[in-house]
Amino acid sequence: MFKMKINRFWSMILTVFVVYLFVKIIIPAVSREITGLPFPLTVPGALVFIYMLLAIISIFLYVTFSDDILEEFLDPIKKFLRGDYGSTFRTVVLCGLPLFIGWQVYEVLVPKNELPSSLRIQHPSSNFPKSSEDLKNPFADPTDAEVNAFIEQAKANQVPFIPQLEADIGFWAEENSDSHMLSFIATKPMKEFLNEMKAEQINEETAKNALVEKNLFEGRALYAMNCRPCHGDSVSGDGPMADGFKLRPINFTDNGTIETIVEGYTFWRVANGGRGLPVEATPWDSAMPQWKLNLTEEQRWKIILAEYDLAEKTPRIPEVHK
Amino acid sequence: MNKNLLLIIVTLATLALSNIAFGADKPASPMPDETPEFIAQGHEVYIRRCSFCHGLLGDGNGPASDYLDPRPRDFTMGTYKFRTSQSGELPTNEDLFRTVSRGLPSTGMQAFDDQVIKNGLSEIDRWAVIAYIKTFAPEFENPDYDPKLNDLIVFLPENQAPYNAESIKKGAEIFQKAKCWECHGKQGRGDGLKAFDKTDDWGFPIRIRNLTHPWKIKAGTRVEDIYMRFSTGINGTPMPSFISALSEEERWYLANYIKSIQHEMTSHDVLKIELIDGAIPEQADDQLWANAAPMDIRLTGQVIAAPRWQNPSVELVTLKALYNENEIGILVQWDDPFKDEKHVTENEFNAKDIAKVGAYNSYIKADKMIPRQLDNFSDALALQFPVKPVDGTKKPHFFRGSASNPVQLWMWKAASGSKEAIARGWKNSPKNQDDEKQSISSVASWSKGQWSLIITRPLVTDDRNDVQFTPGKFIPIALNAWDGSNGEHGLIMSLSTWYYLIIEAPTPLSVYLYALLTVLLTGGFGFWLKKKVQSG
Repeated sequence: MFKMKINRFWSMILTVFVVYLFVKIIIPAVSREITGLPFPLTVPGALVFIYMLLAIISIFLYVTFSDDILEEFLDPIKKFLRGDYGSTFRTVVLCGLPLFIGWQVYEVLVPKNELPSSLRIQHPSSNFPKSSEDLKNPFADPTDAEVNAFIEQAKANQVPFIPQLEADIGFWAEENSDSHMLSFIATKPMKEFLNEMKAEQINEETAKNALVEKNLFEGRALYAMNCRPCHGDSVSGDGPMADGFKLRPINFTDNGTIETIVEGYTFWRVANGGRGLPVEATPWDSAMPQWKLNLTEEQRWKIILAEYDLAEKTPRIPEVHK
Repeated sequence: MNKNLLLIIVTLATLALSNIAFGADKPASPMPDETPEFIAQGHEVYIRRCSFCHGLLGDGNGPASDYLDPRPRDFTMGTYKFRTSQSGELPTNEDLFRTVSRGLPSTGMQAFDDQVIKNGLSEIDRWAVIAYIKTFAPEFENPDYDPKLNDLIVFLPENQAPYNAESIKKGAEIFQKAKCWECHGKQGRGDGLKAFDKTDDWGFPIRIRNLTHPWKIKAGTRVEDIYMRFSTGINGTPMPSFISALSEEERWYLANYIKSIQHEMTSHDVLKIELIDGAIPEQADDQLWANAAPMDIRLTGQVIAAPRWQNPSVELVTLKALYNENEIGILVQWDDPFKDEKHVTENEFNAKDIAKVGAYNSYIKADKMIPRQLDNFSDALALQFPVKPVDGTKKPHFFRGSASNPVQLWMWKAASGSKEAIARGWKNSPKNQDDEKQSISSVASWSKGQWSLIITRPLVTDDRNDVQFTPGKFIPIALNAWDGSNGEHGLIMSLSTWYYLIIEAPTPLSVYLYALLTVLLTGGFGFWLKKKVQSG
């Protein structure tokens, strides 16, 4: 079998190169696959330095492990210095290498028009009020009384919707006067509920699911009116306004965004916006509005319900403190 | 072992690259039969994802629709803008599939391809919702109108002209000959014709596209996409088809030309202020300005506080900066199709009602709430700087700072010239500083759909609210912009986040010394080794 044997000197050079390639290219590429973020996470310069130093130390240890290896490693260097590869080549390398290293030193030291990068903490908790931690979305889990009231409204074919939806639903109901007013919500939970109502055998669980479906519909409408311009109609952080903000609107479909925080945190962030963030989260760069100035608590909770649903995520469960 | 490593590297690199590739906008299989069950499946998708803009009846009147320009499509008319069918005809199923998959950039209609966004729609769900949307317009049921059955398709010919200087030049001639400039303007900035007092087929004001802003080109920026737009026309709008007026070859040249005038954005966020001898040039076309490096800044609608505005006109501003021993000059250029120098204060919008908690909506409607016409509001632009010297990365909020961390605005208005003003948050309008504190001066000119504004100021002043331009310091800068004939005034504006200006500090001597020392040491070591080996 043909096997190419390369000198240890060159295999060590190759090793350093491969380690460098791994740190600079492969780790960022893999990070992108793992995090699902649209950009790679580069290895910080100080860490690259440490990795490369470790690689060189290991090579040094390996090379000096036995005299044979050391001999083989030093052989090409000695040959080169003796002039076995040509004396012109030797002069060029001996002059060129110091110039190259000098240039690198200059590059490192020369002042650049680059900003010192600022680390930003995405989910700061230093000023998050403990009282908000256990908040639950009331529209995700309606009470029995609310479900019963909803059943009565549905039976009377008079279910109130938020004013923003009245016109659209009104026109639809006019065109479809022979159907139940809720049948425009053509999703499974609602269809099931309407069938049970027709058969006069309403299961409370079905009714509850239908009420949540109604809340979701309202939440989606409020999302489309208020949040969509930045966060996009599929909650992907790509709305038509997004490109103007250097700190881009959050993509809620990304892992590590809304699924890693409790609902109470989402509610607090929506209420207080970018200006409510502590210093470590660079509030001066955040375009997130203080929605408590314009939206009621009910509107905010309905939007959060729709946001998690659209993103196909669930909020983190609050930890139990005993 | 090395072989395996190589394999791993290649696999990972391919994996990383495949992520960048754009999702497919061509269906893998043709549209399934439009059975009642399939349409019902589409109805469910429609209720979850589409009705808030397009309305439960498909009439484009969903709750979000009043705030959008362009307004969501009314499906009941069967009039579709972006097609591969001839002018005036219905779209093909594949045309609708392309729009649903790709979306229409810079509008409310975004990509729904699940290859592009994680929670997008599968191919079958996209087909289902298309089947449902088609039920809104009875024309789709009539085989006489089917563009495929009736041979009304515009095919993309194979004879595409190469994209080079020669064909672009020919395209520029066709731009003249076909009179594209009558509407789109001599430079393609959408300033040829004032059309927004005329209406399209849906009764909405016509806004002519600025062809130089690629993010505004809705149905694709590839040469092939551009070719299709003037070959099929845009139904419902005055944009005609040139299929009989221009040959295939001419249309390819024209598409190349349109592609060539699309602006390429710079990607840096620090602008170097460049040193010149003599006075800051007062003419924007001065050679000194032409030689200075530009920095592009993207702006977007002010959607942070009521009254919110999501239909901004000024979305790109280009800055250049020069300084001499006494003064700094900043050249600010942005596209604005119409010059608005008049300001009628009585026509300003009172946001009190829409700014309340629980108001119907805190956004401004695209039409009717504010006049988007000439002669109402002045064009304006403001450069924003922090008042307090910046400490580390800590800055005032990019949207007008706050009471404890205010900003200074260099506010220029076409109607009244430039003034320095202080803003302490967005709730109160910026206050002009006293006359003795005013140290900026400005020259503005408007030509062919573009404003050029030059603002100059002494590098250093004795006003403690002023930013001081000293070497080696990063100076944060942000922008506010108003297009008067787009109804913009007050907080109804576009804005940017923070960028930076810098006057470079001279390189310290120590840097050269260290570099030289390194060369000497490593060089000396090398030759010493050589000596040692030769003698040993």
